[in-house]
Amino acid sequence: MKHLSKLAFGQRKVILALFIISLIIGGTIIGQAYFFVAIVDRIFLEQQSFQEIVPLLAGLLLVLAGRAGFTWLHGRTGVKMAARAKSHFRQAIIKKFSRNPIQASLKGQSGRKVSVLMDSVDEIDGYFSNYVPQMIQTAVIPLMILIVVFTQHIYSGLIMLITAPFIPFFMAIVGVMTKKKSEEQMEKLSAFSGKFLDTLQGLTTLKLFGRAQKQKDEIEKSSLGFRDATMGVLKVAFISSLMLEFISMLSIGLIALEIAIRLVVYESIPFFSAFFILVLAPEFYLTLKDFGSAFHTGRGSSGAANQLAEELSETESYVEWGEEKLSAGSNPPFLELENVHFSYGKEEGLFALENIQATIPAYSQTAIVGRSGSGKSTLLHVVAGLIQPSEGQVKVNGEVLSFYQEHEWFKEVSYISQHPYLFSGTIAENIAIGGRGDHTMNDIKAAAQRAGIAELIESLERGYETPVGEAGRGLSGGEKQRLAIARAFLKRPSVILFDEPTTGLDLKTERILQESMKELSKTSTVITVAHRLHTIKNADQILFLDQGNLAALGPHEVLMERHPEYKEMVRLQQGGTPA
Amino acid sequence: MKDISQMIKLVAIEKKDVLLSILFGFLAGMAAVGLFASSGYLISRAALVPPLYALTVLIAFLKLFGFARALGRYAERYYSHRATFTMLSNIRVAFFEKLEPYAPRVFQKYRSGDLLARIVGDVESLQNFFLRVYYPPVVLVVIFLSTIVFTSVFSTSIAIVLLLGLTLTGVFVPFLFSLRQRTIENRVRESRGELSIDVTEFLYGFRDLKIYQQLEDKEERLHESSSSYIREQEREGMQRIFSHSVNTLVSLLISWVVLGLGAYLVARGDLNGLFLAMLVMISLTVFENATPMAVLPSHLEDSKRASRRLFSIGDEMIEDNGRLHLAGGESYGFELSGVDFRFPEEERQTLQQVNLKIPAGSKTALVGPSGSGKSTLLQLLLKIHTPNQGEILLNEHPMAQIDEESVWSKSNVVLQENHFFFGTVRENLQLAKDDLTDEQMLDALRDVELGSFQLDYPVFEKGENLSGGEKQRLAMARALLKGEQLWILDEPTSSIDALTERKIYERLFNQAEKDTLILVSHRLTGLELMDQIIVMDEGTIVEKGTYNELMHKQGYFYEMKQIEKTIFG
Repeated sequence: MKHLSKLAFGQRKVILALFIISLIIGGTIIGQAYFFVAIVDRIFLEQQSFQEIVPLLAGLLLVLAGRAGFTWLHGRTGVKMAARAKSHFRQAIIKKFSRNPIQASLKGQSGRKVSVLMDSVDEIDGYFSNYVPQMIQTAVIPLMILIVVFTQHIYSGLIMLITAPFIPFFMAIVGVMTKKKSEEQMEKLSAFSGKFLDTLQGLTTLKLFGRAQKQKDEIEKSSLGFRDATMGVLKVAFISSLMLEFISMLSIGLIALEIAIRLVVYESIPFFSAFFILVLAPEFYLTLKDFGSAFHTGRGSSGAANQLAEELSETESYVEWGEEKLSAGSNPPFLELENVHFSYGKEEGLFALENIQATIPAYSQTAIVGRSGSGKSTLLHVVAGLIQPSEGQVKVNGEVLSFYQEHEWFKEVSYISQHPYLFSGTIAENIAIGGRGDHTMNDIKAAAQRAGIAELIESLERGYETPVGEAGRGLSGGEKQRLAIARAFLKRPSVILFDEPTTGLDLKTERILQESMKELSKTSTVITVAHRLHTIKNADQILFLDQGNLAALGPHEVLMERHPEYKEMVRLQQGGTPA
Repeated sequence: MKDISQMIKLVAIEKKDVLLSILFGFLAGMAAVGLFASSGYLISRAALVPPLYALTVLIAFLKLFGFARALGRYAERYYSHRATFTMLSNIRVAFFEKLEPYAPRVFQKYRSGDLLARIVGDVESLQNFFLRVYYPPVVLVVIFLSTIVFTSVFSTSIAIVLLLGLTLTGVFVPFLFSLRQRTIENRVRESRGELSIDVTEFLYGFRDLKIYQQLEDKEERLHESSSSYIREQEREGMQRIFSHSVNTLVSLLISWVVLGLGAYLVARGDLNGLFLAMLVMISLTVFENATPMAVLPSHLEDSKRASRRLFSIGDEMIEDNGRLHLAGGESYGFELSGVDFRFPEEERQTLQQVNLKIPAGSKTALVGPSGSGKSTLLQLLLKIHTPNQGEILLNEHPMAQIDEESVWSKSNVVLQENHFFFGTVRENLQLAKDDLTDEQMLDALRDVELGSFQLDYPVFEKGENLSGGEKQRLAMARALLKGEQLWILDEPTSSIDALTERKIYERLFNQAEKDTLILVSHRLTGLELMDQIIVMDEGTIVEKGTYNELMHKQGYFYEMKQIEKTIFG
């Protein structure tokens, strides 16, 4: 909770405002009790006329309006503070993620990051909108009431002073108990609660094996098991509020008893004071109890806050960029890899790439080849400028990549991945994302035509305006590939990075991929993570990776002749599977 | 109210707990009113210096009310929660009963993957139905009426004021705000949806965004949609605070009126001053019971939505009306003529004009690129889907006339996604058939090269502790154990290495020698033994024949084969 409280109490003005409002609310609570009691006192005991108490009634009305008004203001302030805090956190996290989530997505953590950005941020709301304002109220109001009670009657004040600590004390004890109990039940709970989903997910399997009907009883059994386990935990919580209720009830009863006896037996206290205390006492305990529930909310938020803090403190290297323009010239750029290292973790032995050295001339076609896990995709990411090599550098036209402006570099690059991402939007928008912004609808159509997907798009009812991505219909794997190719045709990049699909696509897409790459490579430097023999054979040079090391470099024929391991791999691929 | 009638029926099952919740809720509420009323009365009485014994009785009452309130609250919570969780169980069972006859067909209608999670979420959100919607108003009305009756003994006009106040705070104010609340909540949901899409695209599409230099725009948009989401949440919070404050104000004002009116009546001599404090205390307390009404409308709305969604699943489904039962003990042949199939949400046909003959006892392979309709064709053969046009004959009977469960019971099926349940390997294998011995199961495990597995090995939810290959082999073991004479296998070995695959296939072909076997294969190897190979592309059959025929023909299959040969892992 440290992180949160720093953020909350850092907002000095807001905290001060909450304090002042709490003081006023405390004042109205006391004022309300005062006027109520005074009116009853005058009418009942002093038998004044109605006219005489009209000013008091007016005063009471004012105080009541004030109480409602300032409670509203107090709540508003909390809600506003929560909104600011959430906005602060989410912006920080977005900024953090925008630097370098590639590593996260490589580690397959994107799903978790989505939930951090959405849910964890939402979960801190309660701390600011509920816990902090209530905490301030609890710090102020009971104290004010106590002071007033002491001025009226010392013994009642003492009873309050002595009984009050029992409430937080019991709350703490119960908190520990429920925690232990619920931890004990956790496994049981999750097993029971998962059963329903498990059964639904397996319903197809169950039906095919003719076992579905039996599951009805299983669902009932586990649901009731879940109920009993939950009730076990809840019972502790209910008993805890029962105890709190008892404490405040007994305390109030004690005060009432004490007051009544003094009023009757000793006649040592005026009716006004007695009634006044009796009205104030419940308010006193109520504020303390309210803090209890707010405390739970606060604790819920702190888990989320820890997650956020962890995310924010994670250090990830990000790619550096410079100020220079990439002089286009008439030729596509040539690339050099100098002593490139990359590792995923700080631990030793987690090297994904080690000491890669290569020159990639303009217009050349380079294939990266190796077994799965040999670092092919990582190398492609490094060349693309998506991850920073931990050592060594990538040079473009003789200068380090970080010498150029980011924009200048990416303007020249197309990256066609195995699973191109479709953004939610129309097909036209998804192709246009590849362009440089100066394209017309005709350019988009031409690019789709070249990528062999125009016919398909036009066959759809809404054509280029068909929504795809999250919200719209999906395309098959082959169609997505062709759409990615269309993006490249629209962009006409001078550097193409291509992660070839590992599995066979439909013949049409296979053919289009081959033809398109041939066409596109006429005007660009091409680096492919290659999975197809023809790509490898057509390449000017091959980077053969083995466990993150560059095991061999050269054209296919040369490697076949001179490099037994490479030859073995090719042989295994072609003859290894029984044909 | 139609959406909710199903829920009300389900609530009615738990009569005892429902009545107990209401009873104790009433007791607790009344005890609180009684407690404050008697303390007000006590203090007034004490001021007049009565005999001590009168006070003693009152003080005893005070304590009694105190305990009754605390215990009543406890019992109310206990029974209402127990009722709620029992109801959740009933909802699950009722829902399952409704869904089960239509599964797995029903899943084609709702293809979105999160359907199941949504169902679970909907069931969970219905827990608020009883706790926040159903019984609080009942308790509230009873408490209010009792209080008003009690008050009317002392003063009719004060009772009327209370009645007015209770209508205002219990009905009028909450429902006035609920109208606005609904629009605000919708806006929160919408803006959350937008943010969620932006976040997902930002993280999953990062690489493409970066390369295409759209990242900054996207980040900008992300900030914007985050702000607007937070803004809507803020508005929702403000609204909540506002409606709460208004309700407090109204109840305070009513107490003010009670006090003013009471004072006036006492001054006029129409009301004994002794009761003034009591009436004021009653008024201050009784409105506490109206607090739950503030959240009622939005929970009602949620419950309606959840129960509507939940219980409409499967509404338009037609129950299978095949009456013909397969006898078993024979092998099965299929004949498809002019079969078209389109998924309800899709624009394009998934299968078009499929004509196919699969003789009984033959071995057929279906091959083709992903998305070409192979799996869908298998599902048509299993009667999981029914064609939009054309006809499928199973051993010369129209598929429509055959009982779907009978088809499933006579086939050994391995799908692309096979479910494994939380439990043990044994439990998961026992699904295949009744009365399996441990030896049989161990044999089956050995047949699929999982000899190292013990039957007692734990299996986590969805088989999370198993690798893809292990899951496929377990599914295969299950199919082998079932031992029927129709094999329908959808890429059963895609995550298994070629060598193991070959061993498993050898045993499979051994066991299935006389059976009909239909196999979707991702690899084009090992297909020489097949009686026919069906090549599919874009929902149509582009070629069929034996391996040698197709290779000789040098058509689609041949070309796919050439590409496969050159693909490196």
